[in-house]
Amino acid sequence: MRPAPFAYHRATSLEHALALLAEHGEDGRPLAGGQSLVAMMNLRLARPRHLVDINDLPLEGIEQVGDVIRIGALVRHERYLRDDLVARYFPVIREGVACIGHPTIRRNGTTGGSLSHADPSAELPLLARLHDATIVAASLRGTRRIASADFFRGAYETALEPGEMLTHVEFTLPNSRPFGAFLEMSERRGDFAIAAVAVVMEEEAGTIRKIAIACSGASQIPIRAPGLEAALAGQSVTALAVAGSAIDAFTATLAPPGDIVATSDHRRRLIAALLARALASAGERTREGR
Amino acid sequence: MIEITLVVNGDRRSLRVEARRLLADVLREEFDLAGVHIGCAQGSCGCCTVHVDGVPRLSCLTFAVQCDGKSVRTVEDIGGPAAEHALQQAFRRAHALQCGYCTPGFIMTLAPFVEAMATENRLPDENEIRDAMSGNICRCTGYQGIVEAVRQAIAERIGTGAPA
Repeated sequence: MRPAPFAYHRATSLEHALALLAEHGEDGRPLAGGQSLVAMMNLRLARPRHLVDINDLPLEGIEQVGDVIRIGALVRHERYLRDDLVARYFPVIREGVACIGHPTIRRNGTTGGSLSHADPSAELPLLARLHDATIVAASLRGTRRIASADFFRGAYETALEPGEMLTHVEFTLPNSRPFGAFLEMSERRGDFAIAAVAVVMEEEAGTIRKIAIACSGASQIPIRAPGLEAALAGQSVTALAVAGSAIDAFTATLAPPGDIVATSDHRRRLIAALLARALASAGERTREGR
Repeated sequence: MIEITLVVNGDRRSLRVEARRLLADVLREEFDLAGVHIGCAQGSCGCCTVHVDGVPRLSCLTFAVQCDGKSVRTVEDIGGPAAEHALQQAFRRAHALQCGYCTPGFIMTLAPFVEAMATENRLPDENEIRDAMSGNICRCTGYQGIVEAVRQAIAERIGTGAPA
């Protein structure tokens, strides 16, 4: 299939893009890498009447601003894999981004596109949720900051309003060197994840000072595991290797969607297995200091 | 209809296209470049990979209007009619194609990888090669030959051994 007809606009500045998006409202969509949107349009699952190409906008930076790193909407996935700030402060983001699609997709797909598309199996929404990232969105009405906990509303649904565009995402810098792990299971390397889990923690003298755990595949949006986090916070890092009952208590509360790829029960067990491995791996990395 | 200019395999041409025309279709239909294959039109198979300003890109997920003023390179330009690029020759030697449908996409995805590895003077392990080719699907499942061809092409370029 091929896309339904639409009008193409190439924005020359953020103000120009926002004016076009305001003018076309629900009929308008920003176009950046197109790695998800154009596929949806080819399948006619998306039929925007106006595409606003934002590729010329200056939204390609990864920079430290105070206690956050601020990542522009046009930062391509590949960029995370060779950025020093990401390597130093966000090892789990680096590991998760490496699982996004395939090399050609990582080279072209963008941060803003992935977060705005809000695919339930996508890596960046999970990583944003894991790190309590803040989404920065702009419209002619001004700039709005949205907590990742409020941003994802459902499968392919976000808090973005018509006329509004994601311009940046901000990740708060950790207080000390974090450790963690990102694991996902997919049918083919780089394909959509059946389920994925991510752990990030800071430790002090062998004790877990702070820990965040998130997963996708359990719901239509990436979710945190607050009970599991509470069970592990303050414990010795050795507890990460034997978290079985705490993991079971968490996964028992899940009702993952079932589909042609995996039943609900299979997904629940998969999440439990991935969590056990990710926690053990995070603990091991902490002890070995890598 | 929008007027755009594309430089395709060095040939600069202006044409009028509908905004919804995919780059893959424009290359096939307006430029007669039938080496641009369209397998899935949803970014899964990699058959339509071309280079836009030197960077591999899926031409089925790209609108031609987005490429106004840009340079596009297809498999036809990689090794000429005789397919003389080192990677194409390695494909021949290693039996890295069966029906050949996926071959242009694999060549366009992997030629820059071979160059990058040669520049680094490094022979990647099999895992790295498989990661580099993970976005392309061969329905004859001829992957083993493709891995071997990539290995041979890189080995040849960095001079660590004659091709088998």
